[in-house]
Amino acid sequence: MSAFFRKLSWLIQRRRREAELQDELQFHLGEESEDREEQGLAKEQAQRAAIRELGNITLVKESTRATWTWACAEQVAQDVRYALRGLRKNPGFALAAIFSLALGLGTSLAIYTVADNLLLRPLPYAHSSELVMVWEEHPRRNFLHGNVAPRNYFVWKARNDVFQDMAVFDTSHAVLGDNRRSEELSEIEARANLLSMLGVQPIFGRRFTEAECRPGSDPVILISFRVWQSWFGGDRNIVGRRVQFGGRLRTIIGVLPANFYFRDRGIDIWQPLNISPAQNNGEGRWLLCLARLKPGVSRSGAQAEMSAIARQRALDDPDFNKDWTVTLELLRDALVREVKPSLLVLLGAVGLLLAVACANVASLLLARYTARQREMAVRASLGAGRLRVVRQLLTESILLAAIGGALGTLLARWAVMALVFLAPKDLTQSIDVVTDTRIYLFAACLAALTSILFGLAPALAGSRCELVQALQIDGRSSIGAKSHLRAWFAGAEIALSVILLSGALLLIRSLEGLQHVNPGINAANVLTLRVSLPGAQYTKPSQTIQFFQRTIREIGSLQGVRAASAISHLPFNGMAPGTYVVLAGRPPAKPGEEIGATIRTVLPGYFQTMGIPLLNGRDFTAADDVENTPHRFIVSQAFVRKYLSKANPLDQQISVWMEEKNPFGQIIGVVGDVKDQTLDQPPTPTVYYPHAHLAYNRMVIVVRSSGDPLALANPIRRVIRRIDPAQPIADVRTMDEVIADTFSRQHFSTLLLASFSGASLLLAAIGVYGILAYSVSERTRELGVRVAIGATPGRIIFLILRAATIPVVGGVVIGISGALALTGLLHSMLFDISPRDPLTFVFVPVMVVTVALIAAYLPARRAARLEPMIVLRAE
Amino acid sequence: MSRNLLSRLDFLQGTLDVLILRTLLAGPTHGHAVAKHIQRTSEDLLQVETGSLYPALHRLEAKGWIAAAWELSDKGKRAKYYRLTRLGRKQLVIEQSKWQAFSRAMGLVLSPVDQEA
Repeated sequence: MSAFFRKLSWLIQRRRREAELQDELQFHLGEESEDREEQGLAKEQAQRAAIRELGNITLVKESTRATWTWACAEQVAQDVRYALRGLRKNPGFALAAIFSLALGLGTSLAIYTVADNLLLRPLPYAHSSELVMVWEEHPRRNFLHGNVAPRNYFVWKARNDVFQDMAVFDTSHAVLGDNRRSEELSEIEARANLLSMLGVQPIFGRRFTEAECRPGSDPVILISFRVWQSWFGGDRNIVGRRVQFGGRLRTIIGVLPANFYFRDRGIDIWQPLNISPAQNNGEGRWLLCLARLKPGVSRSGAQAEMSAIARQRALDDPDFNKDWTVTLELLRDALVREVKPSLLVLLGAVGLLLAVACANVASLLLARYTARQREMAVRASLGAGRLRVVRQLLTESILLAAIGGALGTLLARWAVMALVFLAPKDLTQSIDVVTDTRIYLFAACLAALTSILFGLAPALAGSRCELVQALQIDGRSSIGAKSHLRAWFAGAEIALSVILLSGALLLIRSLEGLQHVNPGINAANVLTLRVSLPGAQYTKPSQTIQFFQRTIREIGSLQGVRAASAISHLPFNGMAPGTYVVLAGRPPAKPGEEIGATIRTVLPGYFQTMGIPLLNGRDFTAADDVENTPHRFIVSQAFVRKYLSKANPLDQQISVWMEEKNPFGQIIGVVGDVKDQTLDQPPTPTVYYPHAHLAYNRMVIVVRSSGDPLALANPIRRVIRRIDPAQPIADVRTMDEVIADTFSRQHFSTLLLASFSGASLLLAAIGVYGILAYSVSERTRELGVRVAIGATPGRIIFLILRAATIPVVGGVVIGISGALALTGLLHSMLFDISPRDPLTFVFVPVMVVTVALIAAYLPARRAARLEPMIVLRAE
Repeated sequence: MSRNLLSRLDFLQGTLDVLILRTLLAGPTHGHAVAKHIQRTSEDLLQVETGSLYPALHRLEAKGWIAAAWELSDKGKRAKYYRLTRLGRKQLVIEQSKWQAFSRAMGLVLSPVDQEA
């Protein structure tokens, strides 16, 4: 029988073995005592001498027992059992410590994961840090991050020597269909070099070539992995298949990898962008532009060169380019623009929060060891080795770390899932958020390190204290000096909470303000959906006009529909085209002083459907929605206010530079302003066309219902299928959702900051609780004496609360000054509220102090309930 | 060299083991007798602490070098008797030759000085 099995059998007959050891030692004592008697000692003296000779019987037993099993496995198990029992007996302490760790680790891991994905991790493209978006801007009109004109792009590309490559693209929607079904998909039209700039290879087939981007070449498309799977069942012979897309038969030349995405993970089709310097590519600025910096060229260097080129362009082509500038923006920054400041704030705070959580745990452990110092001394005097005591204490803190760490990791997982779910869709669609196991590994190490470090210091201090001293008085001298440090910690926690809460409250109030802005429409009970007619089937404008007229008429007669109409560019849903307007009877404007307006085209009844008031004149009627009638326009109130303040608007003729020929037409009505892209920007002057005069084939149908608008989606789908069976509808949303989406990024930032500051406030509360609990156990004797000589409970509570005053008040003061200094960072995210909003700066300190008071009250109440006799006797 | 000094010296690692094995060579006996025997035969120079004796006995038992059984002592009390196993006998030979070689080496280095003194 090997040693291993012998030990195993002893482990099983543990109880018997224990009894035998007892007998064996008892026998030894008897023999020894008899020996002494033989040497001439009295019986009693002999027994005492024998016991003295045997020494510390507990220690003898313990070290003998240690030989029964493997190394220290036995003791570890015992330590863990003991520690668990200890934690169960002190649920307040255990919960506070575990909660601190879980909350601290969980929040910081979650924030770090999100920030890491959105801000730090390289985008999944070759040398992604060299990729920049190039924008055209008109600073004087506060028009930033705007699209690029094709003719400027060609000049930039020829003249610059800071970029390795430059590519333009445009995104759109079009219908993919076979004879059985059809689906509207997001597509990107791009120059051939965009895919090579991103360094992506199709998993089947090839990329398209420069030649295929020339007008007139055979139409080809690349499809996404998703479409390959869902439409073609992953057919490996897909390359060369011809499909209907956007109303034309196109050849599939390749399938893109499953994990590939560029700016929008919803894009399913890539096709060549047909523009060339030789042809007319449209007057406007409508392209997106990506460039790759040459190695060794900095962004500021490239920016300087591009600014110089833009200045030259303004001189060469003043009609088009006066006052226009060019801005470079890192691709990643372009994707996270609105959430970047709040994420950076949070990332900075993550380290602090984690430190706070660790400080809490340390302070709780310290308080606990102080309370247990006598117990430890007793254990030592009963023969527990010093190492044993230290190990016992360490086991407890490691156990806490393990539980807290596990909970924290779980919390982080949920938090990341929740954040991704709640994040604005365009954000999660443009960047993949993945959880990195390395981060969790790091967290596990961190939790272990924290507990060992903070567990070891008091453990060593606790075990070092002199036995006799600890038994006689409560040996606080060795560790009491640290209470100042702990008060500092608590103060810092309070300050941090004040800063974070102020930021969060400002964002909440700003968001609330946004939600109460009048958008200019009545969004309740309005359903919107998009219909994109394929240009190949609807070649003549009259077909498109007829389709929408009939659709609106039939939808209008559905049950539950109060009004229905359509608009080319739904407000609050991205950009609408803008162009110059000429007023009849005025001299032509000088370059840079033209009259500009946003252009929307509507069907009759749009204003009534959306609840936009008609302020003057009349709405379009069915008689206006006919191709060969004279041009007529409706303008917005902002247009009148800005350009026609002196004249009667209904007398005015205008010409809008929208197409090749733009005859003057009468203004027949003035309607109320509608906020344009977002609620926090002033409305822009707008000109409305009747659909027949600007017959877009992609229109958003708007329907006002008497009941739940979403219940109308299916009846409407059936109406459209009856008119054209191959025609899908897309983007079915209520108008409320459309508006809410415009501030989803603010919403997200607010949510992040609010939950984070909530976590920090909780931690601060635990911190305050920790120091006071410590101070109560440290002062038990003193408090007992006070109670004994007649201090009232109220007086005791006051005494304890006073100990919290300095850290809490100090923390609040520092926090307020910190917040006043830092909330400026949020300036760009605030709407209609000052970063120094007085209400916020009154409410937050009051809230923090209240929470701190509640946290402080618990140990204070415990102190007030001390039984003096028990306390004094215990000493 | 005073007895006091020696009694406070810890046994070198493994020393006690070989002493116990050697003691049990004479026949099975209990822990107390092992300690007394070592003390007596070393002319009271070696004092076996109880706190080391029993862990050592149990350790040797775990290794299988000695075996234990409950028997009646010569005074008629139940006692745990240890006896040398075959494995223990072999181990004793190994340990003994190791110690003899060690003590001879120590003697060779130390004896000239000793003799002069």
